[in-house]
Amino acid sequence: MLNIKDRDLVVPGDLIGNEIVPDMNCYMEGGNVYSAVEGLVRVDGRKIKVVPSSGGYIPKREDVVIGVIMDVLTGKWLVDINSPYICAMSGEEVSRDAAKTDLSRYYKVGDIITAKIGSVNEVYSCQLMKPWKIESGLIIDVNPKRVPRVVGKQKSMLNMIREKTGSRVIVGQNGKIWIKDGNVDLAVNTIKKIEKYAQTQGLTDQIAEYLDKESR
Amino acid sequence: MSGNGDVVLIKDGKRLDGRGFEELRDIKMEVSVLERAAGSAYVEWGKNKVMVGVYGPRELHPKFLQDPTKAMLRCVYNLAPFSVDERKKPGPDRRSVEISKVTSEALSSVVMLERFPNTVIDVFIEILQADAGTRCVGLTAASLALADAGIPMKDLVSACSAGKVDGQVVVDLMKEEDNFGECDLPMAIIPKKGEIVLLQMDGKLSRDEFKEAYKLAYDGCMKVYDLQRKTLMESMKKFVGEGGIENGD
Repeated sequence: MLNIKDRDLVVPGDLIGNEIVPDMNCYMEGGNVYSAVEGLVRVDGRKIKVVPSSGGYIPKREDVVIGVIMDVLTGKWLVDINSPYICAMSGEEVSRDAAKTDLSRYYKVGDIITAKIGSVNEVYSCQLMKPWKIESGLIIDVNPKRVPRVVGKQKSMLNMIREKTGSRVIVGQNGKIWIKDGNVDLAVNTIKKIEKYAQTQGLTDQIAEYLDKESR
Repeated sequence: MSGNGDVVLIKDGKRLDGRGFEELRDIKMEVSVLERAAGSAYVEWGKNKVMVGVYGPRELHPKFLQDPTKAMLRCVYNLAPFSVDERKKPGPDRRSVEISKVTSEALSSVVMLERFPNTVIDVFIEILQADAGTRCVGLTAASLALADAGIPMKDLVSACSAGKVDGQVVVDLMKEEDNFGECDLPMAIIPKKGEIVLLQMDGKLSRDEFKEAYKLAYDGCMKVYDLQRKTLMESMKKFVGEGGIENGD
């Protein structure tokens, strides 16, 4: 039985209902399901999840992230990915004989890369793979928990931004977004708007309207 | 806190500031006030003014303090030198170290620390203006700031104090009552279950008086909880686009 409706707002400790399955950001205690964060409840059959309104980034497998090289060690790099956990990237990604190569020839401290998270363990130590160096352009910060809305369902929102502003955009799941070429200002404003009003119903349509108006 | 016969604290059934015995001071709450913190809150409670910033979860150094089973919750309670009548010497002292400790223990009982192994969550409580009951205000604001930071918690923490002045049990002591009263009883609860996470007593109460003070403080906590909830709900309005998208900004 549900105590609240779909799309209702909750704060930590709010009763969501019983005889339901807690999915994300909620917990079960004595048969009842409660919210663990402040956010928006989404009901999917018997599955309940709470979409958080803010929060940090926790590494997940297959995520594309944008990070900064923190340190060059023998055979690997350490990369800051805007998270409490620091990622390692093996030198094998660029050279077959990584232990004997000077890795700072490829990426040195302070270089910015985009890469995919290859593996994550129980305490969130993770490995990056397939790096690509970012040489120019602009990187903006977005709350990591609101990044999914910037991408949209089947990348609908992202493709729309790319198309209407003519910019090249890479969205890091860790809340870093790279923008280059085209109408950069409009792209930034649009993304900031999406971040601010993340869970508005019909957001894609309203953003499309905004982009049309602004790019005239 | 030995009681002072010279100061009249209750006159014609009213307290010095005109409040009844079961009445709280005016409370104003706000969240997301600090740009660069993960979460923050500002609470005005009577003449108390408290700002709280939450940073993290972030990497914990020195490394030997890291716990691979859970995060560490570090609180710093700081009374600003200008917050009290007589300038307070800056820096931690016996009192603020104690309050930092009890606050972090109270918050640790609700925050789901096991979600962030090897990390630390820093909570900075700054008392900008003090007028008795600052640990309650600090704790209330800290729990708001943690919720604002999106850190998973089992529930909010609400705090309120009660005490005894001029032989009468009252709720939410202000400075004069705290200084010249007979007892101060700060309390913090988890509202959903009614469990106590902080309870201290300065002064003396009889068994019956304690029961009465406990009840008053508990009811005060519930009133504070309603305000906390309302504040967080209000802060999420833009998140769901309530009131439409402004095109101006």
